[in-house]
Order: sequence, then structure tokens, then C-alpha cells
Amino acid sequence: MSIEAHGIRKKFGSYTALDGVDLNVPQGKLVALLGPSGSGKTTLLRIIAGLEFPDAGSGRVLFHGEDVTDLPAGKRKVGFVFQHYALFKHMSVFENVAFGLRVRNRAARPSDASIAERVHRLLELVQLDNLAGRYPSQLSGGERQRVALARALAVEPRVLLLDEPFGALDARVRKDLRRWLRRFHDEIQLTTIFVTHDQEEALEIADEVVIMNKAHVEQVGTPQQVYDRPASPFVYQFLGNVNVLKVPALEGAGRRGLGPEGPDPEGQIYVRPHDIELTAHDAGSSGISAIVRHIHAAGPQARLLVEQVHSREHVEVEISRSELTNLGLRVNDLVRLRLRQAHSFDEDYAI
Amino acid sequence: MPCAPPGSLLPNTLFSLVPTLPQPTSSRTLNAAQRRANRDPAWARWLLTGVALVFLAFFLVLPLLSVFVQAFAKGGAFFLSAVTEPDAMASIRLTLLTVAIAVPSNVVFGVAAAWAITKFRFPGKSLLTTLIDLPFAVSPVISGLIYVLVFGAQGWFGPWLIEHNIRIIFAVPGIILATTFVTFPFVARELIPLMQAQGTDEEYSAVTLGASGWQTFWRVTLPNIRWGLLYGVILCNARAMGEFGAVSVVSGHIRGETNTMPLHVEILYNEYNIVGAFAVASLLAILAIATLVLKSVVEWRQTGNA
Repeated sequence: MSIEAHGIRKKFGSYTALDGVDLNVPQGKLVALLGPSGSGKTTLLRIIAGLEFPDAGSGRVLFHGEDVTDLPAGKRKVGFVFQHYALFKHMSVFENVAFGLRVRNRAARPSDASIAERVHRLLELVQLDNLAGRYPSQLSGGERQRVALARALAVEPRVLLLDEPFGALDARVRKDLRRWLRRFHDEIQLTTIFVTHDQEEALEIADEVVIMNKAHVEQVGTPQQVYDRPASPFVYQFLGNVNVLKVPALEGAGRRGLGPEGPDPEGQIYVRPHDIELTAHDAGSSGISAIVRHIHAAGPQARLLVEQVHSREHVEVEISRSELTNLGLRVNDLVRLRLRQAHSFDEDYAI
Repeated sequence: MPCAPPGSLLPNTLFSLVPTLPQPTSSRTLNAAQRRANRDPAWARWLLTGVALVFLAFFLVLPLLSVFVQAFAKGGAFFLSAVTEPDAMASIRLTLLTVAIAVPSNVVFGVAAAWAITKFRFPGKSLLTTLIDLPFAVSPVISGLIYVLVFGAQGWFGPWLIEHNIRIIFAVPGIILATTFVTFPFVARELIPLMQAQGTDEEYSAVTLGASGWQTFWRVTLPNIRWGLLYGVILCNARAMGEFGAVSVVSGHIRGETNTMPLHVEILYNEYNIVGAFAVASLLAILAIATLVLKSVVEWRQTGNA
């Protein structure tokens, strides 16, 4: 089931949560809505679910081409998992999962036996069948999360919507669970949208990432596309570390790869720390002269903070540990910087 | 600190290298030190407890005891005749009738108001929240007078009511109205903070799973608020039985007709029928004590289920 949203606007009082947002999620994909808090991503998710409605006359929500904008949440057949799971505290795990089936009208309600069978099948799917009799308060965060997922799936939703699915979990469980969710999605093949503010999470498991900022969609693409070719300074800064350098500072960098006209001399250049090459400051070498100010070598990569000799601007550089050993660098050593890949947004100019 | 994961050798080997810390020579010195550090001196504890108990004895236990002592001052037979005398029986019936109407109405109003305030955004919400407290804020006498001014013979609806031969003031409907008004905040006040703390996610969850509004209320909201609701009902009930001021204004004190138990107690007392007054009062006291016990049980269940 594909999901489309066109020109969605939503205001809460004077606050604009969504300002003409378009979204297109193809059938069977796992899509991340990524953005800082207040970017409107959760509001968009709730509008798709039917828990909020777009401002009058502003936009449409389509499921597989069918207009569902005016349909209430209960009629849309969406599975929604809340950030804090919103399990029914007074019901056992079994009853939580069975809820969606039990509230159906008499004609559509399955028999008790087939409800039981279906609930157990779902609990097996999320690997919790042994906990059917427990209450939510007796479960760990990760277990609650999976119960919420099983409960959402019980109504055989057409799409699955997850609001910050890993937000309330500690770091280790989070990593395990997101890989599990990816495998789970590959297994059930249900069109899924999840909201997150964690770029690592989005880039790791999503087929496609929708980056939102200030009520707008900034960029849509595969994780590799958005990471390698950010469409705006915001996306550049939001996805991983980036150095923002003034163009004049590049004087003497050898202008490697720069076209004859070059970028706007007053503009800015975006460079990721791992796209900078460090070389020894020899007589014949070229590049920006800089002084090593700090070396942080605990971790898989060595991170260096260097200061440009001319502009005194600081630049973060990431190189491999072995490269650091080969260069034999120490604090206050002189080095040269070369930019392997950089980006300028002045006139959509890529170096 | 969690213990080291199994298989990790480091902590054990480390611990064997670290010299053991000097242990306190006796546990008694440790306890004494603890006591000094986090407890008040003994005399302060005794003094404070003593003051509280003496205060309680003088202002609560003694008066309560005197109610029962006075009630039985002329023996059990007199007590029985005082509470089974027709006017007393009428006042008991009227009080129970009032409670039977006022409490359920306030449960419905209270749940509806709390639901509206906590689950929806609408204009005038803060005004409604303030208005709910109004019956607590104004004196009960004024609450009674409001009804006299609206429904009394000289009131706004007075002529119309007389024309249609409907009696509200100095009759049972007025008593029920005044009692309902005075006890209105109890259920709503109890539920609003509870429902606010619980938020709306569970309700939204139920809705996305296809539940109707009615199903969401009965299957999700009500079970979540049941102990708070019961607590509110108990407090509402206690106040409804004991309400004096507002009811006194609208009742007209017609013996055997518009006297509730508190009013009947006052009349007997003013007639120097002290034992009769206390006999009826003791019934109210028993109802109050039963309410308190019930309240404690509910509170205990509530914390047990939190």
C-alpha cells in the first residue's frame, strides 16, 4: 500500500507545524521521517494516521490512490505505535493484542478461538509468546515496544506508522531492536513510516529518508544519497559532522578540482571531516597550512582539531589510526590540508 | 552498580588486588552514627508525636466519643425510639434520597467535565476548569441563596413555577439541587489531575485499533480511572450526606418533609432534646466513619495498583 500526502498544512494556534508538505512512500518500503524536534515530523505521521487532520482545504492524504483525508483513524486501517507504546495498563499482553479484534462489531468479530490463535501467532512473530499473561508493568522497554507492534499488527493494517520507535530505550537495546525491526520489515513487507530524530538510526535501517526541518521537507532520498549529496546546508549539518569553511580560507589549498570561475569568494564550503586529506608540511607539498591543536585517538578513527595558519579557523579532520601513525603527528605540528570532496550551496556549486 | 557480566575476569582479579577496606569494628557504632546522621533526636520525635496525638484526642476523638456517649445517655431503648421516630425516619429517607440522586448526577457531570478538560482542546477550557471550583470557593449559604433567587417565589422563574404548580424551593427538588451544586467539584477534581497525568495516548491507541468512542471510554478510560473515580464518589457521598448550609437555606425546615439528617439534628438540639439530637448525629457519624474506612481501603488499593 503506497502512501501519498499532498500540500499538507497544519497550524496549532499561531504555530505552523507543517507548511505545505508533500510525501510519497512507495509500496512496501521502510521510510524514515528524520528531523530535529519541532520540525513537524510527528504531526505529519499523526495526520497520515488520522489522529490529526490537515488544516481545512490544505491537502490530501492518499492510501494507494484512495483519498482517506476525511476518514477517521479507526477506518483507515493503520497500525500506529506510540513513542511510549501506550499499552493498556490494566490488560494482559494477550488482551492488549486482542483489543483490536474484540472491539469489532459482531458481524466482523472473529470467534474467541480464532482471536486466541491470531494473538498467539502475532506474539510468536514478535518473539513474546511466553509473556502473554504478563501485564505491561512487568515488561522491559523492548518487550513493551514489541507488544505495541503486535497489537498494531493485529488489525491487519495497510500501513504501519511508528512514532520514535526507539526513543524511550537505552542505547544497547535500541541498536538490537532497530536491526530486528529492519529484518522484521523485510519479513512482513508492510509499508512502514517511522519518525526519528536520530540520523544514525534513520540512515542505518530506512530504504528512504525524508529529512524535515521547520515544517518543510528538506530532502528525500536513499540514505546514501542524502548523506553524500545533501541538498541544503541544514541537511549537511544534520547528517553527521561537517566543517563550514569560508571560501577565502581556501586560498593556497591548491584549488584542486575547482573550476575556473570557482565558488563565490564570500561564500561557504561544507566539508566532512573524513573528506579531508592530511599531508606532512614539506617543501614541495601543497594545500592549506594548519597546525594540529588536539588529537583524539580513542576510537576506531582518529579525530584531529587543526587550526588554519592564515584564517585561524578550526577544522575537524578524521583519519584512520594507521594514517595517524604513518604521519607521526603530534600536537603543534604543521600539516597541509587537501579537500577530497566539498560542497558549496552558493549557486548549487559542487567542488 | 550492576555486577560484572559473567565471563569477565577483570573485576575479580582487580578486587583481589585491592586491599580490603577497614570494616567497622561493631555494628552498634555504625547504627549510632546512622541515627545521628539522618534522624532527629529522640525528645523531638516524642514531643512532635505527643503534640499531634494530644491535639487529635482533644479535637477529634473526644468530640466523636461524646456524640456516642450522649446518644446512649438514656439507654439503648431511648436511642432506638429517637432514631425510629417518624420525623427522624423521614429525615433519614430524605438524606438517602438526596444522596441517591446527587451522587450519580455528579459522577456523570464530573466524568464528562474531566473528560472534556483533559482530552480535548476547546475555547473556554480554562474558564470551565475555574468554574468547577466555584462551589468550593463560595460559602454554602450563598449556594443555597442562589437557588432561592432563581427558583424562589420572588425569583426569576418564581411566577412561572407557581403558575405551573411546581415547587422547588422549600421542597425536595431544591434540597437535591443545592446538594448537587455543593458537591459538584469532588468527582471532577479527583479525576482531572489523574486523567491529565495519563494523557491521551491510550485513547488514541484504542481509536487507531478501530474502537468507537463508547468502547474507548468503557474499555480503556474507565478502567484507568476507576480507583480515582471511586475515591471521588466516596468524598462526594460524605459531603452530600452532611451538607448543612446550602440545604438549610432552601429547605424551609418542614418537619417530616424537608428536613435532612443534619437539619433534623439542629432542630432537636434547639428544642433541648440533646439525646435525640445526638442519637441522629451518631448515625451520621457512623456513616462518616464507614466512608473513611472505605476511603482508606480504596486508597490502599489505589497505591497497590499504581
